[in-house]
Amino acid sequence: MKIRTEQFVEIAREEMKNTRSKAFLGLLPPVINAMRQISLATFPDPDAAQAYGAAIRGEVVTRLPELLEEFERNATARGTKVVWARTAAEANAFVLDLAKKKGVAYVTKGKSMLSEEIGLNDALIDNGVDAIETDLGEFIIQLLKRPPFHLIGPAVNIAVEEIRDLFMEKGILAEPTEDPVALGYAARLYLRDKFHRLEMGVTGVNMAVAETGTIVNVENEGNIRFAKSSPRTQVSIMSLEKVVPTMADALHMIRLLCRNGTGQKMASYISFDTGPRAAGEIDGPEEVYCVIVDNGRADLYDDPVARDVFRCIRCGACANICPVYTKIGGYPYGWAYTGPMGQLLTPLLLGFSGTSDLFRACTLCGVCKSVCPAGVDHPRMLLYYRARDAAGDPRLRSRGRPLKERTLYDLFAWGATHPRLWRQGAKRMRPRVNRGARDGYLSRSVEPLDGWFRSRDLPEMAEKTFHERWKEREGHKAKA
Amino acid sequence: MPYAAREDILGKLKKADRREEAPARPPLPPLTEVGWGTEQLIEKFTENLALQTGVVHRVADRAGALEKLTEIAQAEGWKAVMIATDEVLAPLDLAAWGRTNGIDVLKAADFTARDAFKDAVFDQVDAGITGVDWAVAETGTVALVHDERQPRLVSLAPILNVVVVPVDRILPVYEQALERILAARGGMPAHLNLITGPSMTADIQATPFKGMHGPRRVIALLIG
Ligand code: SF4
Repeated sequence: MKIRTEQFVEIAREEMKNTRSKAFLGLLPPVINAMRQISLATFPDPDAAQAYGAAIRGEVVTRLPELLEEFERNATARGTKVVWARTAAEANAFVLDLAKKKGVAYVTKGKSMLSEEIGLNDALIDNGVDAIETDLGEFIIQLLKRPPFHLIGPAVNIAVEEIRDLFMEKGILAEPTEDPVALGYAARLYLRDKFHRLEMGVTGVNMAVAETGTIVNVENEGNIRFAKSSPRTQVSIMSLEKVVPTMADALHMIRLLCRNGTGQKMASYISFDTGPRAAGEIDGPEEVYCVIVDNGRADLYDDPVARDVFRCIRCGACANICPVYTKIGGYPYGWAYTGPMGQLLTPLLLGFSGTSDLFRACTLCGVCKSVCPAGVDHPRMLLYYRARDAAGDPRLRSRGRPLKERTLYDLFAWGATHPRLWRQGAKRMRPRVNRGARDGYLSRSVEPLDGWFRSRDLPEMAEKTFHERWKEREGHKAKA
Repeated sequence: MPYAAREDILGKLKKADRREEAPARPPLPPLTEVGWGTEQLIEKFTENLALQTGVVHRVADRAGALEKLTEIAQAEGWKAVMIATDEVLAPLDLAAWGRTNGIDVLKAADFTARDAFKDAVFDQVDAGITGVDWAVAETGTVALVHDERQPRLVSLAPILNVVVVPVDRILPVYEQALERILAARGGMPAHLNLITGPSMTADIQATPFKGMHGPRRVIALLIG
């Protein structure tokens, strides 16, 4: 996938003029949020349930290497072939190589954000193995070559007319229709044959249970179940933070994931795989591979603030409620991960230079944190990124702020810590600054401050400083 | 894949400063469902499955189940079905039922190879019929353990899934189903599914509909 995070502002501006995206964003998030509330209310104590989820994820983050080893040990004991990949390239090469060895013409893909992160589809397709997305939304955006609009509904904003034309062009639809249901059934028929002849399935992983070596997938459509039932070879790819300690923890997180993600109490299908098929099974994979992908995460693990991003279970609740996401939609985030969790994860994975708009496009209102079932503290992390970026942290691939900006702030800091100079400066600067004021407000400035004024005004400088007024007041009191 | 990858990744993770330990877990949050009695379990299972458009018929006994099945078969015009051979279905003797009603009743054991089985279950049957290992009232969910009696595709590939549920197999929450499965099998089975209603999506314009890739409809026959 093409990375477009540098064009955040540009694309956001475009998208805010896009009436279709706007109509969708005005309608759907409130509905999903309401459904989320209702489904969470089925817990006797919803806050305790959310807090328990956060505790599980917190424990995962601290015990990550031990849990991964435990998962590997138990999965291997049951016949799952566990493979480790340091980079996107290693992971892609492994899957491609396996597909070639098995001689398959195509693989079906279950929805996996990780596979978009590492560019698995392109790696396969460019080397002669077709990779067919089978989640309906992913299927559509793959054909359209478009990035995901939303974590859970990647194509949910796309007009039926556009899908109709696309399906006609690709021979998926026989008779033109704009009925979403008829379009969905056309995709069903088209993909059904792919499932029937399938020799190798590739899916993501929602949870990997350390205690039992089990891979868990949560879905509504059934495409992942097909990938785990029809072919002889099944490949599950997971980023290393997907592990959970116990089966009981997995069940609790499933409850939270469904409620927070789609407002369902339960998704249609939760499948648990512990090794390849049992003796005597007529279907199911003869071989199960689990590829554990690092792709830069282990390097971040040493940073106690940054590593909190590994709590995230990709439910999407933070996006549905974010005042920024619900205005601009998913495209400006420019990559696989949309919404607040994208603002946290993308800069860490891609480096800060080129992604800094992501962690600045936030008012720190904290509503994301308030809905998160995994205990992610988005505002804290975003502030941390901004601070690290201002300082320039090579580990986070941040170049630091431009020299002009840094000089200015250094100057400001120096002035602010020298009270007498500050007071004199204020007196001298006041008439010059206020010359540009209109109706008591400053709304424009010269470089390098002009960026600050793009979306803000300042009241003009007051006649008297606070210190002057305070002194006068004390003087009056003394006289009285 | 080089073994070095594993060592590299785990090495980095273990080297990290982890003095800031995660705080102890709060107490496990309670679940209301655990206190439900038998009739309430049946009622809630039915109600929750119905919310997912599942159709639930309650019958008194096995004879009643077969009668209902005949009714469904006639209404749907079944010519062939694929069945599981789990311990819920076995005593129903669906093979005999099929002969009486002129319906081809197929099962995995009729096929020697995966491909022939797949051809049948994808294209030649009108419905898949399964029993359950357990059912869960919490969300109207059925738990299927897949093995030679319970092929994975029977409850997935046909457009209609009929699931037979003895009421004494309905439990309050997932944890209880899992506990029993673990106890009976001495560990996790190779493949376990929790199935709640038919396959669905809302990926086009957020319009929800059933039958995306799996069954469009689920019918549950409760016995007892
Ligand atoms: S960060 Fe967002 S997507 Fe991740 S678990 Fe929290 S609410 Fe869900």
